[in-house]
Order: sequence, then structure tokens, then C-alpha cells
Amino acid sequence: MKKSLALILTLSLLTLVAAGCGSGSGSDDVIKIGFLGALTGEVASYGIYTLKGMELAVEEINEAGGVLGKELVIVEADNRGDKGEIANVTQKFITKDKVSAIIGDPTTGGTIVAAQIAQPNKTVLLSAGAVGAGVVEIGDYIYRNTLLDSVAAPAVVKYVKENLGWNKVCIVTSKNNDYSVGQTEVFKKALAENGVEVLSEEFIQDKDTNFSGQVTNIKAKNPDGIVFTGYYTEGGLFMAEVHKQGLDLDMVGGDGLLSNVLIELGGQGVEGSMVFAGFSPEQPDENTAQFIEKYKAKHNGEEPDMFVAQGYDAVKILAAAMEKAGSSDPTVFKDALAQTKDFPGVSGTTTFMENREPVKSPISLLHVKDGKFSLLAKIPVEMD
Amino acid sequence: MDFLFNDYNARIIINIGIYIIMALGLNLITGVTGQLSLGHAAFMSIGAYTSSLLSMKLGLPFGVALLGGSLTAAFFGVLLGFPTLRLTGDYLAMATLGFAEIVRVILTNLEVTGGALGLSPIPYKTTMPLVLISVILIVFAMARIERSRFGRALLAIREDEIAAETMGINTFRYKIVAFALGSFCAGLGGSLYAHFITYINPVDFGFNKSIEILNMVVLGGMGSIPGTILGSVVLTIAPEFLRFVEQYRMLFYGALLVIMMIFRPNGLLGGVNFTDLVLKTFGLKKKKKVNGSSEKEGVK
Amino acid sequence: MFFEQLLNGITVGSTYALIALGYTMVYGIITLINFAHGEIFMVGAFVGLALTRFLNVNVFLAILGAMATCMLLGIVVERIAYRPLRRSSRLSALISAIGVSIFISTLVQLIRGPQTTNYPASVINNTVYTIGSIHISKLQLIMILVSAGLMIALQLIVKYTKMGKAMRATSQDYDAASLMGININQVISFTFALGSALAAAGGVLVGIYFNAVGPFMGTSAGLKAFAAAVLGGIGSIPGAMLGGLFLGVAEITAIALGKSSYTDAIAFGILFLVLLIKPTGILGRPLQKKV
Repeated sequence: MKKSLALILTLSLLTLVAAGCGSGSGSDDVIKIGFLGALTGEVASYGIYTLKGMELAVEEINEAGGVLGKELVIVEADNRGDKGEIANVTQKFITKDKVSAIIGDPTTGGTIVAAQIAQPNKTVLLSAGAVGAGVVEIGDYIYRNTLLDSVAAPAVVKYVKENLGWNKVCIVTSKNNDYSVGQTEVFKKALAENGVEVLSEEFIQDKDTNFSGQVTNIKAKNPDGIVFTGYYTEGGLFMAEVHKQGLDLDMVGGDGLLSNVLIELGGQGVEGSMVFAGFSPEQPDENTAQFIEKYKAKHNGEEPDMFVAQGYDAVKILAAAMEKAGSSDPTVFKDALAQTKDFPGVSGTTTFMENREPVKSPISLLHVKDGKFSLLAKIPVEMD
Repeated sequence: MDFLFNDYNARIIINIGIYIIMALGLNLITGVTGQLSLGHAAFMSIGAYTSSLLSMKLGLPFGVALLGGSLTAAFFGVLLGFPTLRLTGDYLAMATLGFAEIVRVILTNLEVTGGALGLSPIPYKTTMPLVLISVILIVFAMARIERSRFGRALLAIREDEIAAETMGINTFRYKIVAFALGSFCAGLGGSLYAHFITYINPVDFGFNKSIEILNMVVLGGMGSIPGTILGSVVLTIAPEFLRFVEQYRMLFYGALLVIMMIFRPNGLLGGVNFTDLVLKTFGLKKKKKVNGSSEKEGVK
Repeated sequence: MFFEQLLNGITVGSTYALIALGYTMVYGIITLINFAHGEIFMVGAFVGLALTRFLNVNVFLAILGAMATCMLLGIVVERIAYRPLRRSSRLSALISAIGVSIFISTLVQLIRGPQTTNYPASVINNTVYTIGSIHISKLQLIMILVSAGLMIALQLIVKYTKMGKAMRATSQDYDAASLMGININQVISFTFALGSALAAAGGVLVGIYFNAVGPFMGTSAGLKAFAAAVLGGIGSIPGAMLGGLFLGVAEITAIALGKSSYTDAIAFGILFLVLLIKPTGILGRPLQKKV
């Protein structure tokens, strides 16, 4: 019995220690930025690459003398993609680490959870991945640097109709993926506006690997093309199945498809498929070429993906806003952040509108050619 | 004292409280009554979604939403219990797992629940005092149940269902009631969770969540209220506490589960009678051998 | 069209069956739901991937290599995580299994990264055969044949070898078997080895067929295979095969009917119904209540 009591005491002591230790020293000579994202678990790939991009940007900035003469430091914590942990980590960044800003979460859901905490605590949250609805509405400390579907989809639909003659399509949605469900809504609206007929809607689920049934259904409809709103893993597998069943169809989709994994998994099937993105690794401008070069040098020749680029840009945007405001106090530099205009990032040129939503122009429409992404068209966005 | 009572710790304490409520519910079903359920997260999600819809769409006061969520979960508990509680052992476990998967798929496909997009923003209403009061009430209720005629009947069902039936216990009815009460707790926890995180979608309530809650019950000590509380505390804090090992965190977490089970196979407080322990510690009761059926230390 | 879908269903179902066999054999002997089994399947897929990618071996060698590795892994996991708990409550072993599952999937993710990768395209030249109006790919043919072959081999082992007899005896009455001089530890190790080998073969086949291998592929496949095992009647080897095929076909039917977002619900809904009608699964032995 004594043993059990001792156990309880030890554990409660441990709790106190856990709660007490590691609290931020609050030192003034560094500026802390929190990285919010998953480093383990099923959505880890988005988090890991966002962090890699952030690290590169921080290195560059510190080499050039830091921000406001202070060193920039990333505080990282894994959240496994679990909403409870996302909330915990956000609160930890604010309370214990006393960060100036938080970059993340790469997912829309995670960003919404974190924003509900960052806003009342007056900490700037800049998501480098959230594209769904209901994010920046949460308040004036909440921003995102992503290519919004509502900006890109209409332009892309117009392109495939006018240039490729797509008049009837099938839409594939990953039903348990919020990104996909949200993007399908946007695409359906854009398709209707452009007079493209939707022959059928097929549903898949993230983590599915067997798409033979859906593809067989599409085969029977004979569309001009496929609109695919899910992520690259399922996208690649889906198109591989399309190829396997002997169909010669291309798909178009969002930046959730932009990864070399798509090509690895899709093989011949994704040849000719199109992806819109704010970031194009092919035919880059000078700025982007440098970034790709540096990143490859740092990571054994690994190509940066969209999350790397957006994580990189997020840090740079924050640093620029801090410099402009002359302060790393979120209550001060958030106004400078709001005025970000034509920021020349590696993932496109970013402007924050009145409602804090980003507009990134131009949209890069990439297609897979000879087993590599290459630029098909750059579509400028009219700002209103 | 500032480092102890800050918003971060408050958040963790609220988390712990919510898990204690849900784990105590599962403890009644699995620990006390011996019916293995692998679908506790389903009831959590039913509570979370119902209460969120009540407060978001109908604008009902939080108290009503909370009660509505919990009662709906209890109702579904009864609904599931009727056909399935005739099943025994792992077939019941499988049926509850299946039920949980079905609930998750339905939530993903329904219009009113927002599908994969989920519900947001749910009003932020869950406060520390509210959680603490709920925990105290549930703990008190569970302790009362444990010592009541009803509670002893449940224990009898766990130990030997046929013998219990022979002794005149209506095992089916008792199991249903236990299931309903346990689901009520899950629903309450889910409602508190939804109004705390302010955003829910079906992914949050998968198999892993059910397992997480089950871990708390088994790790703490099946059928023991203080054990379940301890299990919830340890497993809620463990991921936070293990942050210093960075990306190896879940590796440690997994190993921790195995090691703890090997060294305390009946849970941290398995077979410990808490009332006796307290009384003894303060010298209020003479030493007596605890006749827990599960204290098997030293027996290989 | 109908036959093509049916064929797709059988192909998927036969891999479910391979995984389900591991669940059912382990359950039959020590009544443990081995939640780490899905992870063994995943490791098998990765071992096969490594072999084909770095040693350029063909499919069959990759399968054999994966089977051998996972046999060892299965035995080691049982030694470390389950054997010390053999006399404790079944739930402690269950939690231990969950711990192992978390451990293995995290470990693989740390080593290999979280992304899904694929087998080299050269592993199989995917010829499509046409018989009448039915198209069947070489890969599908291999999958069905390999699965069937392995299941027949398993039946032979269980029916006609000494170890198989010992397995059946242990599964019928654990204590009596040990009293009769059967080395229980050996039997259990053997069961884990067999089950893990089958799961590994399934892992390689699934990895090639769907061209996707990732550290989290074990969880959902494991869950479905477990459902298949219960559906067929847990503890029953033919039951697991039947359950796997049934589930595979049912899922494809759901997709063909355009209800693909309900696939999981349909799989588990069927399970639910079967349990209500026949509480011990399709081929399960009726439970005897001991007084």
C-alpha cells in the first residue's frame, strides 16, 4: 500500500515538475516564433516540410544580422495533428515561451483551433497551409499565406475549358478530408459558372488505397477530364488506377496534389495532369531559384515542396512586418503585417486584402511532363 | 506561483478533467461491469455534436446544450445496448468498435454536421470551475454507485455473469443501465470538449480516441475510481511531459504503455481500495488484508 | 463490369483474409486481440520494398524475405510484450499490444519519413489478360494465387504437422494441452511466426497492388482485417478466409453502387448485423458458458 501511495506522490511531483520546467526565460535579445504543426502522425509530412522551410528562412535572416538586430529563434513542438494537442501547444507558446508570432498549423482545422486561442491572447498567427473557410474571420491577429481555392479554382476552370476544351468532367472528392470537401464546393461553383457539366461525383477517403470501383464508374461516364480535390497520395494512386484500367484521362487539382510523391505513386497515370499552385519549382524567378538551390544544398539534393516554400515565406513575411513596424510586439507589428503588399515570396507574390485574406498572383498551373512538374501557364489574378 | 497557475496549466487541467469524466464512464462499463467497449469515442462524438448543434444552431444556453448532449449519448447507449449486450466478451467489443466506425462515417456524410469540415466556431464555454464541479459530481456519483446494491450487482456480473443471474440479478437490465450511465459520461465529456476546443470534426473521434480512453482505465486499474483518475492524469500529461524527447515522444509513449503493463499488469492502482488506503494512512483503521480479486503481485 | 468489380473485390478480400488469419490464430490460442498485427503487415510491406528497391529481387523473393523478417518480429514482439502478461488480465495484454503498435509505427516513421512511397515500377510488368469480357491483370492473378497458396499451406500445416496438432490442441484447451506435455511457449511462438508471415506476404502484395506503402497503412488495414476475422468467427481459420473475401466484395459493391463514402460503415454494418444474427460470426463455434 505504501508503494502505491509513493507512486501517487511521485507522479504528482512529476506533474508539478513538468508544469514548472522549461518555462520561457523571456529573454529580450531573441525573437521567438512558434512552429505549430505535426512532426509525427498521419499529417506529419505537412508539418515537417513547413518547419524545414522555416529553418532555412531563419538561418538566412540570422546570417544577415537578424530582425531588429535580434536573433530569430524557432520554438518547435509536435502536435501529432490532434486538436487537443494543437490547443495545448498554442497555449504553451503564448504562456511559457512568450513567442512573438506563431506559424501554423498547416491544416485548416488546426489553424481554427489555434486561432481561437491566439486571438484573445493577442499573438499573431500566420498559417502557411490553411486554405479552408472560417480562418481569418476569427480576428485581426489571424493571417494566412496560402493560395486560396476561391482565387485559383475559377481561373483554372476557365483555362481548361478554353484551352483544353473540357466540357464535361467527373469530380472526385475525399469525403473525410476537409480540404477536399471545401475545394469541391469551390470547384463546383466555378464549373457551373463556366458552363462545364459535371457528369458524376465520385467519393473516396483519405488513406484509401483501392480506387478500382470509382475508376470503373468514371470509365462508364466518359468525361473530358477529372477534377480531383484530394491530396497527392490518393491523387497519385487514383490516377495510377485510371491508367491501369486503360483510360486516357488527365486530372486537374489544387496544391494539395503538389508533391513528387504524386508522380512517384501515379507513374504514367499522372502524366499530363495539372495542379494549380502558388509555388512552382520549375522555371523559377531569380529569387526562387536561389531558394531552391540553398534548400537542395542543405538537404542532400531534396526538392523543396509547397509546404517548404510557404513555411519559408511565412517567416520572411513576419520578419519584414517586424522590421517595418520596428517592433516584435504583436500588438504593434500586426498592423504592418496587415499592410503587406506585393511581397515577393518564393511561393508567389502575396498581398493581404482588407479582410486579411491573401491574394497570391500569379497562379502557376503546373502539369506533369516526362515524370516532372513543369510550368504549363501562369495565370494572373485580377485583384478587386 | 505564476508558473503553476498559468493559462497553459489551466488548459491541461481542464483536459485532464474532461478525460477523467469520460474515463470514469468507461470504467463503469468495462472496469466495473466487465463489458469491453472499444467504441467510447462514439458516445463522446454524439455528445460533442449534439451539444454543439444545440448551442450553435438553436442558440440554447450552455447548460441545456450540455445536458442535451449527455442525454443523447446516454440514449444512444441504450439503443446500442439493447441488441448488443447479449453478446459476450470480444464480440461485444467488436460490435462497439463497429458502431463507433459507423457513427464516424455518418458524421462525415451528414449535411447538418458539416461533414469532414466539421463544426466551428462552437462558443467557448468550458471553464475550469465548471469542469472541476462536473468531475467532483461524477466522482461522487460513481463512488455512490460502487457502494450501492446496483454497484455490487455490476461487480457480480463482471465476476460471473451466470452466477449473478442465478442469484436473481437481472443482468441484462443492469448492463443496459451501466451502459447508459457510461455513455452519459462520455457525452458530457464530449460536450465539454467541443465547447473547449471550439472546433470538432469526425477525425477527432476515431478508434484511436476510444483506445486512448480505454488506456486510461486499464492503466489506472480496472474498476478502481482513483485508479481511473490517476490513469487519466498520467496519460493526459504524458504527451506534454514527454516533449523533451522531441520526435521520439510517441516512441516513448508506446514503450511506456508496454512497460507499465508488464510491471503493473493490473494497473497502477489495480486492487487498491482507496478508502481503506486513506483510512490506514491516517491510522484510522487497523491493517487488514485487502481481498481484491485482482491483486496478484508476485504470482507468476 | 460486374465481373471486373467482383474480381477487384476478391483481390482486396484475399489480402484482408491473409491479415485476418493472423488475428484469428493468435486469438484462438491466447484470446488476445493482437492490435500490433496491422503494424507487422506494414513492416512486411516495407521490408519487401527495401528488397525490391535495393537488391532488385523479384516479387516472390521479396515476399519470402518479408515473411522471414516478420516471423522474427512477431516472435520478438510476443516475447517482450505479451509473454510476461500471459497470466494477467486479457486487457493488460491488449493495452500492451496497443503500446507495441504505437511504438512500431512511430519507429518506422522516424526511420522512413511519414510519406507514402511506392514499389519500383519494374517489380511487375502488369500485363492484362482478357477472357471474354473480363479483364484480369497479372498482378491480380498473382495476388489471388499467392493468397490461395498460402492459405492452403496454412491448412496443411495446421491439419497435418505435429506443430499444427499442438496448435489445435492448445486452442481447444490451453491447460489440458500443457498438461499433455505440449510446450505451450513454443506453440505460441510458432503461431505468432505463422500469423506474422502471412501478414507480411499480405503487406508486400497490397504494397505492390495499390502502389502505396506508408507507416500508417497498418492501422486501417488491421482494423478491417480484424473485422473480417470476427465476421468469419474469430478463432476459426476458414472463417477468417471467408470473412476477408466477404468484406472485400462487400466494400467493392458499395463503391460500385456509388456509396463509396460509406464503405467503412458498410463493412462494419455487415459485421454488426452478422453478430446480431449469429453472435459468434459465420463459422464461429457456439460459445459454451461454463458454470
